[in-house]
Amino acid sequence: MATDRTVSATWNGSLLEGSGTIHSVGSGAFGPLPVSWAARAEDPNGLTSPEELIAAAHAACYSMALSSGLSKAGTPPEQLDTSATVTFQPGEGIVRIALTVRGTVPGIDAAGFAEQAEAAKKGCPVSKALAGVPEITLDAELV
Amino acid sequence: MPRIVRKADVVWQGSIARGEGTLHAISSGAFTLPYTNASRIADPEGKTSPEELLAAAHAGCFTMSLGSELARAGTPPERLDVRCTITMDEVEGRGHQIVHSEIEAGGQVPNCDDASFAQAVEAADAGCPFSALIRASATVTISVAPR
Repeated sequence: MATDRTVSATWNGSLLEGSGTIHSVGSGAFGPLPVSWAARAEDPNGLTSPEELIAAAHAACYSMALSSGLSKAGTPPEQLDTSATVTFQPGEGIVRIALTVRGTVPGIDAAGFAEQAEAAKKGCPVSKALAGVPEITLDAELV
Repeated sequence: MPRIVRKADVVWQGSIARGEGTLHAISSGAFTLPYTNASRIADPEGKTSPEELLAAAHAGCFTMSLGSELARAGTPPERLDVRCTITMDEVEGRGHQIVHSEIEAGGQVPNCDDASFAQAVEAADAGCPFSALIRASATVTISVAPR
């Protein structure tokens, strides 16, 4: 079954001096979120940006994929703490995504966790969608 | 230009079926959001999902790219409205995959006729890093909304 998610954004004015809003998210979960070029390229000053939203999408998707793999293996996690850091080079695009995950997972050893963590990195839909990123790294450990 | 770095994190508790995640925008502090597997694949019930976040990222990125193209053409926009829909589907033998991103762009741009606006939309797609990236695995369609 296909799942659609829709978001609208508005922009007023030029790129450098103007500002935008990400609003009308289909779920109603967030927004309106203001965005600006200065906040995207320099200090965020409390404003999100496309790169932060990609980091959020990737961290969220990766965590679910890992929980799914661990659950299927009979060792569902108590807790996974995941972060994604997206590095954007103006003129080049996204050049790197660094994933880190720390897991509290009863009944699994370090090797088993490392295997599941790597499989989630390969298999999660957002990883597949971002396969064009030159470097996606993973740092996974049990705690 | 220096590199731009942005970070988000997630705390996920429990199995895939019954667990729940909480998502934080670390760099900006702009949002803290819950999500679940059910809200991702079925009715959102007020919760976001990775696909919605990708749609927000693509809409945000495309909007800035279009604003930049129009300014370069000497017709900076008064207002741009961009809508993005991301579709995830189950692809045989490959599991769940993001298969499509659909962008619809419109707006109020003084001194810019329909043909010039359409041209700017095409240039914005070519220049938007997210459009380029997602084309590696999905189709991207861009259309001009009635203005």
